[in-house]
Amino acid sequence: MAAKETVKTICRNARPVMSSDLTEARRRALGLYRAFYRYIPYIIKYFDIPKNEQDCRCKLREYFYKHACVTDVRVIDILVIKGYMELKEVTHLWQQKGHVMSHWNPSAEPKPCDFLGKFLAGMD
Amino acid sequence: MLRQPLTRALALSSPARAAPLAVRRYAEIAPQPDKVEVFIDDKPVYVPPGTTVLQAAAQVGVEIPRFCYHERLAVAGNCRMCLVEVEKSPKPVAACAMPVMKGMRVKTNSDLTRKAREGVMEFLLVNHPLDCPICDQGGECDLQDQSMAFGSDKSRFTDIHFSGKRAVEDKDVGPLIKTIMTRCIHCTRCIRFASEVAGVDDLGTTGRGTDMQVGTYVEKMFLSELSGNIIDLCPVGALTSKPYSFAARPWETRRIDSVDVLDPLGSNIVVSTRTNEVLRILPRTNEEINEEWLSDKSRFACDGLKRQRLVTPLMADSRGNLTPVDWEDAVVAAARALRDCPPDKLLAVAGDMADAESLVALKDLLNRLGSENACTEQYFPLEGAGIDLRSTYLLNTGIANVEDADFVLLIGTNVRFEAPLLNTRIRKAFIHKDTDVALIGPKVDLTYDYVHVGESASIVKDLASGTSAHEVLRKLEQAKRPVVILGADQLKTQEGAALLAYTQELALRLQDKLEDKNWKVLNVLQRTASQVAALDIGYKPGVGALLSAGPQVVYLLGADSGVVTRESLPKDAVVIYQGHHGDAGAAIADVVLPGAAYTEKRATYVNAEGRAQQTLPAVTPPGQAREDWKIIRAISEVVGVRLPYDNLDEVRDRLSQISPALVTYGDVQNNNYFAQARALAQSLQKPVSGNLDVKLKTLEDYFMTDAISRASPTMAKCVQAVLKQKQSTY
Amino acid sequence: MLSSLRSGVQGLWRVSSRALQTTTNLQHDSLFVHRDTPEDNPSIPFEFTPENNKRVEALLAIYPEGHKRAAMIPLLDLAQRQNGGWLPISAMHKVAEILKLPRMRVYEVATFYTMFIRRPIGKYHVQVCTTTPCWLRGSDAVLNAIKEATGCEVGGNSPCGKFSLSEVECLGACVNAPMVQVNDDYYEDLTVDDTKEIIEKLKRDEKPKPGPRSGRYASEPLGGLTSLTEEPTGPGFGLQDALKA
Repeated sequence: MAAKETVKTICRNARPVMSSDLTEARRRALGLYRAFYRYIPYIIKYFDIPKNEQDCRCKLREYFYKHACVTDVRVIDILVIKGYMELKEVTHLWQQKGHVMSHWNPSAEPKPCDFLGKFLAGMD
Repeated sequence: MLRQPLTRALALSSPARAAPLAVRRYAEIAPQPDKVEVFIDDKPVYVPPGTTVLQAAAQVGVEIPRFCYHERLAVAGNCRMCLVEVEKSPKPVAACAMPVMKGMRVKTNSDLTRKAREGVMEFLLVNHPLDCPICDQGGECDLQDQSMAFGSDKSRFTDIHFSGKRAVEDKDVGPLIKTIMTRCIHCTRCIRFASEVAGVDDLGTTGRGTDMQVGTYVEKMFLSELSGNIIDLCPVGALTSKPYSFAARPWETRRIDSVDVLDPLGSNIVVSTRTNEVLRILPRTNEEINEEWLSDKSRFACDGLKRQRLVTPLMADSRGNLTPVDWEDAVVAAARALRDCPPDKLLAVAGDMADAESLVALKDLLNRLGSENACTEQYFPLEGAGIDLRSTYLLNTGIANVEDADFVLLIGTNVRFEAPLLNTRIRKAFIHKDTDVALIGPKVDLTYDYVHVGESASIVKDLASGTSAHEVLRKLEQAKRPVVILGADQLKTQEGAALLAYTQELALRLQDKLEDKNWKVLNVLQRTASQVAALDIGYKPGVGALLSAGPQVVYLLGADSGVVTRESLPKDAVVIYQGHHGDAGAAIADVVLPGAAYTEKRATYVNAEGRAQQTLPAVTPPGQAREDWKIIRAISEVVGVRLPYDNLDEVRDRLSQISPALVTYGDVQNNNYFAQARALAQSLQKPVSGNLDVKLKTLEDYFMTDAISRASPTMAKCVQAVLKQKQSTY
Repeated sequence: MLSSLRSGVQGLWRVSSRALQTTTNLQHDSLFVHRDTPEDNPSIPFEFTPENNKRVEALLAIYPEGHKRAAMIPLLDLAQRQNGGWLPISAMHKVAEILKLPRMRVYEVATFYTMFIRRPIGKYHVQVCTTTPCWLRGSDAVLNAIKEATGCEVGGNSPCGKFSLSEVECLGACVNAPMVQVNDDYYEDLTVDDTKEIIEKLKRDEKPKPGPRSGRYASEPLGGLTSLTEEPTGPGFGLQDALKA
């Protein structure tokens, strides 16, 4: 009984970011997906990247599936907001070619965690 | 200086300037005379008679400003900054020179006192230039601090356009000390240090009145191995460090406490760094080792840390030239050489600045490869007790306790240059306690008088057997606290074992007769900072036999003293050098692995008296250099005999398994088993005939002795300056 | 009008700020560091003469063992006398060697005392007192006469090298002002003519008679006693009657 009260309190206290329920969140996520999807040809055109539309769509889908397991409405909302921010950076050409290409070729290598790897990399 | 805690002043119960009793275990505790009560600012305090007002004030936490007073120097009483009001005294008195009297009421903050201080400060500033912005002492200047705290808030000095301030020409006292004598306030600390501690009476005052100046009168270098200390002593910017001039302000630097490794004493130091660069090294007070002094090599050789450094792994190419390679290639090449070598053809040599962590890692690696051939450059006789008993290769008396000795016998060592701060202890005993000193070995200048017994090793034999007719034997036998110090350099000859046996015999014969059963007589003064740790870990001293056996792979851990040369090795031998400087070792290597110097790693060093201390990283190793134990650990993994430690704590656990003494930082263990060592050495008492000789005879030999000081331009300048001074008629 | 007033005020101010100044900083006329010169450098040997060596021994014998360094000033003085009135650096070294002291300790003493002269000077060191009593009695004229007669500047040597001239503070002969000291002798109650005569005699290496030139024996009044002229009273003078026996 008490536990239920607590949950209720938390739910009441946790103010929604944008969406009030999952359905609305899903709608927003789809909206983001669609917006990106439609902009893909322009990305290829404006940034002149050596990728075709199919590659870009795969990458886009990959990012959405990466977060497929997220069920918290607030988290979904934040991710969507971040997505729109990314989109805006791309549409306004605030990002450069390198930024876009880094989705395929990440520049940061994973840090070594064994002794020899750390030693050779000069990291502690 | 004022900034240092005054608690040290408390421990000095008498004007005799000696280390606090807590440090000197064997100090004679005189019956305490009745204490007298004095009142400092109405706070009662009980002090022994003879205490000065200044020391009594320090006991209740009242700091009296001073310039000329220094706890470790004679009282001069000439700066007058410590004037205080004493009730019923018509005039203010100088607290540093005034002994307390019963019922004395001292007022350190009365109007009279404050006015007196203000007046003194005004007089000092009348002739002190206002060049603080271009003065190197700025920010750590006693005059600055005290004029802020005790000086007047306004100036009456209007004379600058008419007669101006006193100006004094600068002196040239060598490449280490920069003098701007106009700034001098005549506290005479440098003069007193030179004549009392350094024992080089080259500084003095010439002229008198306004024309008095501190200097050498003639053009002369300050020929001392402790000269840098007068920079610390100078309360103003008259004496500053020449290599450090205009380099940095004290508030810009980061200070890291560390330990010096350029001599076997392990003096405590503070490393000042900025932007990953060692700017200077200052002494850190440790009553048991260096008090607050530091020798010149330890202080000024730090610019050698920036030069001749190995910054990348190197491998010999097909034509034999060392070329830069990746760590991976270098480690694999080193590992392949180690793996393919038969264990008995493997040799590891540790140099003079190897830390305990890398020593234990290298030995473990060798043992895992099935070899026992880990050795040090310095030799020590293995016959008799060898290195099994720790007391046979340590400075058992302890550095601070040497002050309490009443007879010091030096055998084949020039303490002045091998361990300058041990020499200051002997000098202190010589001056304040009338300790006699005798020397067997070549005649050298030790800064104090001594009896020169001779150069022949057979003298030691005669003394040991009690057949010598020399007066030294009688004095030794009558001494209540004799100290015998044997230089480790003497032990590498054929007769080394016998010499050590005789020295043990002599020391133990004396020790048995002593009333004080805790007093240790036998001392062996090692030459390098790594030797004690290496022997503790179980390195074999000396490469002799192992080298002549024709090793296939030689692993040099900072071994730069030229013991291993290409000529002494078989043609196809592979030499792996690990170290921080491109010196003798790297020159003959096939694979060079760049390591870290002592300012760049957290590492353990054991000093000559067996005290483990650790250095702390002040800067990062340059280029691709790595901490030493990690290099060995990495190689071990590639060879396939992984060492079971991945971080420093685990290495230190391994160290404590070998000897807990290696990780009890700051402590020194009580050494025992002297009698057993003596018994084992009985059979070694063979006739000796050779003459004792020391390597470091005069000051110019002192400055460049290891990889760091050989790379230091300042040290090179010192050698040049000393040689030039020798040409001079002064 | 206004500007002239302002400049006048400024002038006043300047005068008053100047008034804070008393005298210029007097710097000593000799140098307190050593400079090698052809006449004075450590490679010029200095040895005590055999007679002086005997004196050295006698001087050292005065002081107890362990306190021999107290003989430093007499020895330096002896060296200075032997060396024609000035103290070369090698003489200081010799004294340090005799006393087994660091050389710096000798330099300290030699530079402290103004009567140790560390530069070559002439055979006759003429020291003119110009302190108030002598100055009031005409020491300026005496000084000028000496300058003229010898060709010395104050603090310098004469062109012939025979004389050196110094201006000194009170030599303690104020009752016989003005006075000069030549080497060890005082010449007192001088006039310009007396001074010239003394210098002329010295030029001929004759020794003028030291002491007052006014006909006085010492410092007694010039025209006979002016006080204490009556007969001294006998014992019991002024004693009350009751106490008289």
